[in-house]
Amino acid sequence: MKLNEKSTLQDVAVAVSQALETAGIRAVLTGGGIATIHTRGDYKSEDLDFIIQSGPTQAQLDAALKNIGFERSGDHYEHATTRFFVEFPPGPLSIGRDIAIRPEQVKVGRSRVLALSPTDSCRDRLAAFYFWNDRQSLDVAVRIGLREKIDLDAIQRWSETEGMADRFREFERLLDRRRGRKVPSHQKRG
Amino acid sequence: MLVARSSPFGSTTRTGVLIALRLLDESYPRELARVLEQPLFAVQRALAGLEKDGLVAAVTTGRTRLYRINPRYFALKELSDFVGRLAEPEESLRAKVESLRRRPRRTGKRL
Repeated sequence: MKLNEKSTLQDVAVAVSQALETAGIRAVLTGGGIATIHTRGDYKSEDLDFIIQSGPTQAQLDAALKNIGFERSGDHYEHATTRFFVEFPPGPLSIGRDIAIRPEQVKVGRSRVLALSPTDSCRDRLAAFYFWNDRQSLDVAVRIGLREKIDLDAIQRWSETEGMADRFREFERLLDRRRGRKVPSHQKRG
Repeated sequence: MLVARSSPFGSTTRTGVLIALRLLDESYPRELARVLEQPLFAVQRALAGLEKDGLVAAVTTGRTRLYRINPRYFALKELSDFVGRLAEPEESLRAKVESLRRRPRRTGKRL
């Protein structure tokens, strides 16, 4: 797939995933990128965070991404035409204290991308709300819950182990309230 | 000058930064440079490395980058306990931190 200025985040996610897979690099899409996919674009991120689960050298990673036009600039990768950029935050793949994360093949268009499940993506956003009081992330977690089937019991159990039972209840109340009404229209976010 | 008893995080400045953040909860590069008695560039370089490793995280408040030990780090409790233990013998650093005023001061109040 050739990326250009019209490529969507989903296009870029698929292209990067395929390029990494071809190079034998196992990486999991996390963060705002997969949240964008799970919210079907209700949330709009412009960066794609992949957690690497194999041990490529920097040169191998650079070469894999160069094949689809991404060049390293500092600690992230930029493309000449698409505005989306790619980052590789340090591992391990974790959500709060939980490192037993099982990524899944998430359907993106006609392709699949190794990524956080809707439940784990929701927890990932909630972690930002819990630990940074980032209410935008709470909103995104709710939007994931509105768009995808999530395991609320698992999220509650995890929240309790993180000492965040009160904040989970706030999330649950907000989710319930929004489930009873139309989701607000698309909002552009940086 | 901070005399770290050891530098398990790669350098005495990196270790010092983590100890200072453990004591202060959050701080900015210039304050850290002051309490650690280290050049600002050395502290900034240590912070950049620690951030890249996921051990610290920062938010921007106005024009200031406020750093803290990454609350989303998967081994936060263990890291915090370890760094807290490292802080115990650092008496001069703790004294410097304790000399900082962190409580609010009413607007307009004379210093």
